[in-house]
Amino acid sequence: MLKIQNVFKKFGEIEVLKNITLEFSSNKIIGLAGPSGSGKSTLLRCLQKLEPIDSGVIECTEKTGFMFQDFQLFPHMTVLQNLTYAPTLQRKTKDTVPEALALLKTLGLKHKETVYPNKLSGGQKQRVALARSLMMHPQILLCDEPTSGLDVATVMDIVSLLKSVKDLGVTMIIASHDLDFLTKIADQIILLKNGEIVLNTDLQTLKEDPIQCLKKYY
Amino acid sequence: MEKLISHILFIGSGVALTLQLLIGGLSMGLLLGGLFSILRYKKIATPLINRFVSVLRGTPVILQLSFIYFSTPGLVGIKLSILEAGILTFGLNSSAYIAEILRSGIESLPKGQFEASKTLQISSFYMWKDIILPQVTRNVLPSLVSEVIALLKETALIATIGGMDILRKSQTLGAEQFTYFLPLCIAGCYYYSLVLFIEYLGKKMEQRGSYA
Ligand SMILES: Nc1ncnc2c1ncn2[C@@H]1O[C@H](COP(=O)(O)OP(=O)(O)OP(=O)(O)O)[C@@H](O)[C@H]1O
Ligand SMILES: [Mg+2]
Repeated sequence: MLKIQNVFKKFGEIEVLKNITLEFSSNKIIGLAGPSGSGKSTLLRCLQKLEPIDSGVIECTEKTGFMFQDFQLFPHMTVLQNLTYAPTLQRKTKDTVPEALALLKTLGLKHKETVYPNKLSGGQKQRVALARSLMMHPQILLCDEPTSGLDVATVMDIVSLLKSVKDLGVTMIIASHDLDFLTKIADQIILLKNGEIVLNTDLQTLKEDPIQCLKKYY
Repeated sequence: MEKLISHILFIGSGVALTLQLLIGGLSMGLLLGGLFSILRYKKIATPLINRFVSVLRGTPVILQLSFIYFSTPGLVGIKLSILEAGILTFGLNSSAYIAEILRSGIESLPKGQFEASKTLQISSFYMWKDIILPQVTRNVLPSLVSEVIALLKETALIATIGGMDILRKSQTLGAEQFTYFLPLCIAGCYYYSLVLFIEYLGKKMEQRGSYA
């Protein structure tokens, strides 16, 4: 269960999150939309406790994973090591390797296990970052701009990948300003503007043209 | 010719002390310098460490060496051997320079590397050991190699408290033979060869550390 109540967050004098109250239901893909600077990344970072909040409560009983916009893969480790390093520490066993290899295979990265991240394309890095998060078995996955810098075909790959992650029972909260992408993938859309929630709705309730509906709020 | 060989061997017997000082001082410098830079990043005892580093960088090494060698018996009642005093001095002194080098390396690493470690629940110890420091040392390797070379040359100061290193051996020989030319040339060759070797090792490590 992930629930936040009356969350406020300031950077210096600017109020970035103003009185945010949300409850995230399980096993859904929740799209976090909003113009640049509206506080999407900040909200995700607060949920992951990378950023302290000024007031309010964040209640989280589930394990969260986080995908960074710029991936933040470990450049001095191979793809396989990137996947296995943290879970090996945590589970104190070496048998994280078969799981990692299987995951790489599903993500179409079978032949890349011994490669270093700087030799990967943007889409491949994105998939390695996804795999690295999944290796920690999160129940909630927070993704910041998972499609930035990717071409249309790769974005479609990411859409189907993230949908299959949802089928594993993972809840996802995805921040993105790509409405086309969000409306393809999300079950629910939360729209932020100037640090406030201006819309929180199931995607189905938006009429024939959800993108146009959302754009009205920008 | 025989004389040359005996000169080379005599001065060469000082290499042991020089290397002990270099390796001992460098090990201590890396450990302490690493510790200082981590503590400073975590903002623990920062003013104290900053002052310590600044004093070590702001006073002559030769003064630090005599201070540690000659004043420890009076101050703390411990008589250090020449080797101990040397390793302690060169260790402390290089720790200050290494701490600065590592600081700049840590600061230039993306913050996201720390955050990624945190989100993957990697504990602080393993984060520094396996994620941060390996990347930092790789990025600052050229500066570290320069520091090792500087340290090697500084070890020659051990002669001022009577340590029989490469330099002191060659001076002794010069005094006996009434000519300093050859002994000092030989000493120079020893130092220069060691420097070339250190540079070679540095290059090797740089190649090994590059993510192919
Ligand atoms: N570390 C920080 N220090 C100071 N201000 C910050 C910091 N991080 C974000 N901000 C400010 O907070 C506001 C919200 O930023 P945030 O990154 O959350 O927006 P966003 O919705 O993710 O935007 P984008 O779509 O461009 O990624 C912006 O005004 C930004 O300048
Ligand atoms: Mg953002």
